[in-house]
Formats: sequence, structure tokens, C-alpha cells
Amino acid sequence: MEAHTDRFKVTAGRELKNELSQIFLSLLPPGFTILRQIGMSSFPDPESAVEQARAIRAEVIERMPELLEEFERNAVSRGARVLWARDAREANDIILDIARQRGITYATKGKSMITEEIGLNEHLIRNGVDAYETDLGEVITQLLELPPFHIVGPAINVPPEEISAVFLKKGIIKEPTTNPIELGKAVRVYLREKFRHLEMGIVGVNMAVAATGTIVNVENEGNIRMTKSSPKTLVAVMSLEKVVPTMADAVHMVRILCRNCTGQKMSSYVSMDTGPRKQGEVDGPEELFIVIVDNGRSEIYRDRETRDVLRCIRCGGCLNTCPVYAKIGGYPYGFAYSGPMGQVLNPLLLGIEETSDLYRACTLCGACRQICPAGVDHPSLLLTYRAREVSRKGKDRKVEKSLAALVTLGISRAWIWNLGVRIMRPLFRRLAQNGNITDMPLGLKGWFTCRDLPDMPARTFHERWIDRRDAPLPERQRKKEV
Amino acid sequence: MVSLFIPCTVDLLMPEIGTAACELLEHLGEQPVYHQDQTCCGQPLFNVGYRDQARRVAKHFIEVFGRDERIVSPSGSCVSMVKHHYPELLSHEPSWYGRARELAGRVFELSQYIVDVLGVTDVGAAFDGSVTYHESCHVLRSLGVSDQPKKLIGAVRGARYVELNNATACCGFGGEFAVGFPEISQALVKDKATNFLNTGADVLLLCEPGCLLNINGYLHRNHPEKKAMHLASFLAGNMKEA
Ligand code: SF4
Repeated sequence: MEAHTDRFKVTAGRELKNELSQIFLSLLPPGFTILRQIGMSSFPDPESAVEQARAIRAEVIERMPELLEEFERNAVSRGARVLWARDAREANDIILDIARQRGITYATKGKSMITEEIGLNEHLIRNGVDAYETDLGEVITQLLELPPFHIVGPAINVPPEEISAVFLKKGIIKEPTTNPIELGKAVRVYLREKFRHLEMGIVGVNMAVAATGTIVNVENEGNIRMTKSSPKTLVAVMSLEKVVPTMADAVHMVRILCRNCTGQKMSSYVSMDTGPRKQGEVDGPEELFIVIVDNGRSEIYRDRETRDVLRCIRCGGCLNTCPVYAKIGGYPYGFAYSGPMGQVLNPLLLGIEETSDLYRACTLCGACRQICPAGVDHPSLLLTYRAREVSRKGKDRKVEKSLAALVTLGISRAWIWNLGVRIMRPLFRRLAQNGNITDMPLGLKGWFTCRDLPDMPARTFHERWIDRRDAPLPERQRKKEV
Repeated sequence: MVSLFIPCTVDLLMPEIGTAACELLEHLGEQPVYHQDQTCCGQPLFNVGYRDQARRVAKHFIEVFGRDERIVSPSGSCVSMVKHHYPELLSHEPSWYGRARELAGRVFELSQYIVDVLGVTDVGAAFDGSVTYHESCHVLRSLGVSDQPKKLIGAVRGARYVELNNATACCGFGGEFAVGFPEISQALVKDKATNFLNTGADVLLLCEPGCLLNINGYLHRNHPEKKAMHLASFLAGNMKEA
């Protein structure tokens, strides 16, 4: 997927003014948060359930290489073919080759973030293999060429009129309608046709069980199960971190994932596939390929400071709790992953240089870390990226860097600090009116778009302390009032 | 002996909060000391990404406060900086790391100190009016301090406590964030202010100077009749004369 992370501020500004987006954002995250709370409270002991999930993810990222090998062994012994892809291009080529060798003209797709990350749809379509999304929201975003607005409801903000128009254009409906039920039904009929003659299905993977070689998918519409069971050839695409040690772990993670995502105890469909159809079985694909995509993750894994990013199970809980996401929605993040999940992941996948706004657009409030069932410490990762950006040698931030050096000098020696105060105060006071500053030059403009700043008082606390200490005793009582 | 750690925002822009903290502690029988060598904890540098610089600042802080039995500050985020980030910053220098770890256990946010260490909830203040409380992110989520300020508020005679809607939502300050992403920050502080106005409370209390600058800056511009206040100022200002 083409990244647009450099347009963060512009897109965010636009979304803040988009009334429809704002309506959805005022409803969606709070709504999901309530559902999540209800869902989580159905655990006998929600806190321990989260602890357990975090422990499972901790184990996964400690043992990832051996778990992946174990998964491969077991998947292969059950008849699956496991293919490793170093990067997006390799993964795309592998999948395209599978399609070409079988003369396949189209494939259906289950909603999957990894295939968005590697830009699989674009690659297949460019090379003559049509790729049809089958999740209702994804169908709409694909037709409208929109990035996902929300992880669970990628097209939830698109008005029915727009959906109707594009469905009409693509021949999915004959008459315009804004009735959501009719629109949904039309897509169902349209997709059934695709499933009926399906040669190849492509899905993501929510969990890959090392002990059994099983791939697990959760969904609510049944389209993934259709995509998995209808075709002759099934391709499952997963990133390294999807692996979990045992089936019990996978089941616990499913329980946690669904509760954190939509508040459901279990999604409407959970499908588990261990190898392709075996002799005597009535359904399932004849061949199963599992493509394991690295795309930069080995490096993320090797780096102790970034490894924790791989804990993420893409539940979306952090999006729903992030104050920034709740104001701007998914578009500004400019890539497959949005919200705090995207803020920690995209910079590592796309590079620190191109993603500065992502790791700086954060107040470090810590709500994401608190809610994350996988134990990702988002603020700490964002701070690491900020430090990496600063330590890069380059001309940019030159002024800021000298300023930081000056401030550091001042902070490390009180006399310089106090001297600085005496120099700054008259400058401050000149800007102030009635004890307040309403605007300031130099990079601080942003503060004053909606806020004032109090003037620097005549005496700092430091000076007040000295005044107080030096005052004679009765005075000292009175000085209390300063 | 308790040592006052006055954050730079308080020192430079809101010294009355420092004075209030000092008065409160004295009123409770403490004799706070204030090291004149202190400056800033380095949080702004650290948050922007200047780690080497923040490390130097951390060492300065440890030199200044290293021998104190207990250190108290009217800022949750600065306490969190010292408690959580100093050890992390100095993790590659064993002797400094040891000192940072040791210091971490002795730093307290003011309300936490009063309630948990001194065991006081009623400081002897009275206020005829209604109040509400904003749960600043670092106070709440980094330090887990939430009951303490509420207990202190609850014990103020005459004060009626009104629940703030979305009290735990971020006010949109975030230091550099407020300057770098003004529109998003504005949307957040506007929500906070609106929730405050909707309570009808006379004053919004909090324990974090950063949030205070942000919320009061916004209120001053848009709703000058309303204001937020640091809990220390509120308590000290409404203390009955002993
Ligand atoms: S970072 Fe945590 S909360 Fe966010 S999507 Fe990943 S697992 Fe869920």
C-alpha cells in the first residue's frame, strides 16, 4: 500500500472540519469502549485474563523464531505449503505466481491488514488477476479507493448515497437505494456469484498455532469462511508475529481479541484450518499455501528497543481509547495501520524519516498502553522514535538542536538558569497585556491558536523562596501570602 | 525531612502553586526545604527526543536531590519523569542507575504524599461552592494517583463535589504536542472545557501544572469567567487561619 504518512497534518486538519467524520468519531470510539467494558466484564477475572494475554504475547516475542519453525513443521506435516517472503515484493510475487500457474483470473479476499500493508490487491490487479474484497466495509473502501476509516468499520463513515452511487456504477445494484439492508443484500448476491466459481481465495491470519499448524480467523460476516472453504486453492498470508505456542493460547487470544475489538465474547465466525482438505473430507480447499511475510520484522525483532511492537494482535482497542484518533479518525495515519497501533508500527515499517508526525502526534496520555491486551508500551516506543529522529545527523532541526543544547546547559547549572530567567522576563513582560500573553513569535504560534499564556510573574518561586527566607520572622508570616 | 521539587512551569509561570504547596506542608507540621540548585527535571527535552541532554539533566537532579529522604512535587508528570524515566535513561551507567532507582522510591506527587505518607485527608480547608476534578494523564495512569486528591477534596468543608464527564480523558496538552498539533490539541482542550462548563462547578481542580496551563489558557481566551486551579492552591487558599 502506498504510504501517505507525510500528509498527516493536512488530512487531520481536513477531518477535524469534516462534519460527518466528526459525528462518527463522537459515537464510534466511545461506543466501542462501552462494548469493550461489557465484554471484558464477562470474564470472571478480567484483569487476570489481560495478564494472561500479555504473558502469551511476551512468550511469543521471546520465542518467535523457534515457534515459527515449529509452526512450519506442523503445517507442512498436515499438507500445507509454507512459503517465506522477505519483503512485500517477494510476498506479492509468490502469490501472483500461484495464481498464474493455475490460470486464475480472480480471487476473493478476506479482510486482512497484512495484505493491505504489502499492497497485494494493487499488485494482483495490475498483473491481470482481479482481487475482490469480501468484507462489506472493505468492498466499499475498495470500490471508492478509500483507506480504512476505522479498523472494525473501515467504511462506517461513508454515507449510503455514496455507496449507492458506486454500487450502481459497478453494476452491483440496478436501481439506486440508500436502504442499508438492500445495499447489504446486493453485495451478498454479488459476492455469492464470485464464491460459486471461486478458484482461489486469499485470507489473512489472526493466529497461527505452532503446536498444531492451524490457522485461525475471526470475523463477523462469514465471508472469510466462504473464501477459505469455497476455492480449490487457498492462500493464507500472515506476518511473523501471528504465531502463538498452543491451541489453548490461541483460544485465549481469540477471547481477548473479540472482547477488546467489538466487545463480543466471540465473533460470529471463528474458523480453524489445519492443512487442506484430506481424503474423505467433504469440503475445504484442495491446496493450502501459507505465506509468512517478514517485511522488516526480523529487524524489528532483533532490536530490543522495538521488539515489543510485535506483541500487537490488531484488536483495535487502542484506537478506540486514543484521544487523538477520536478527533481525526483513520485517514491521517496514511497507511494500513492507524491510531496508536499505526503510530508504533508504521515508523518501523516505513522509516523514521517519513513518519515524524505519527510519533509526535501524541500527548503521551498512556490510555493505549493501559488498554492494550498484548502489553505494547506505546508511549515508550514513540519516545524511542523521537529520540532516534533527533539523533540522526542532518541539517534539519538545527535551530531546535542549538536551543536544546542551551536549555540543557541552563538546566544543569542553576546560576545560568537564573540568569536566563532574568534575561527572559523583560521579553515576556513586553509581550504581555493585563497579565496575559495572547501571541508569541518563533515556533510557539501553535499554542496561541486557542489559548493564552500567563505572563511571567515578577518573582519566580526561586526568588520568592529567597525573599521569604531572608525576611524577618513576623514578615515571614505575612510573606506567606505572596 | 521533605524536600520541595518545584517544576520549571511552576517556578517560572505559576510560582503561587509552589508557595501553596509549601504552606500546605508547613500547615501539616512539615518543614520543607528547597534546594536552590534545582532547575527543571528535563521532561521537555526527553519528550521531544533529546535523550543525551535529558541524561545530563537527570544527573544534575540526582546530585541536587540525591540525599533527600523524601521529595515532593506538585506535578504528576515531573514525578513520573524522575520515577520512571530516570532509571531508564541511566540504565547503561550502573552507578547512576543505582542512584536513580534509589531516588525513584522517594519521590511523591503532593496529594499522594499528604494522603499516603502523612496520612492526612482533612487539611482543614473550607469552601462554599462546587468543585470538580480532572484526572491528569500522568497523575492517574503513570502514578496511579486518583483517590488521594479526591479524598483531600472530599474533606473540604462545604465543598460540593460534582463528577466531571470524561474526567480521565486527556486535555490535549502534551507539551510539544500543543504547539505542534494545535488543531487537534484545541479540539481536545475544548472538550475538556465544555465538560467542565457542563458540570456548573465553580472551579476545576487538578494536580498537574501542564494541564493547568493548557486548560486555563483556553478558558482565559474563551470563557474568562471560569477557571481551573491546582489542588494545592485551592487547599492552601481556603485553609482556615490556624
Ligand atoms: S497495540 Fe494493543 S490495543 Fe492496539 S491494536 Fe495492538 S494489541 Fe490492540
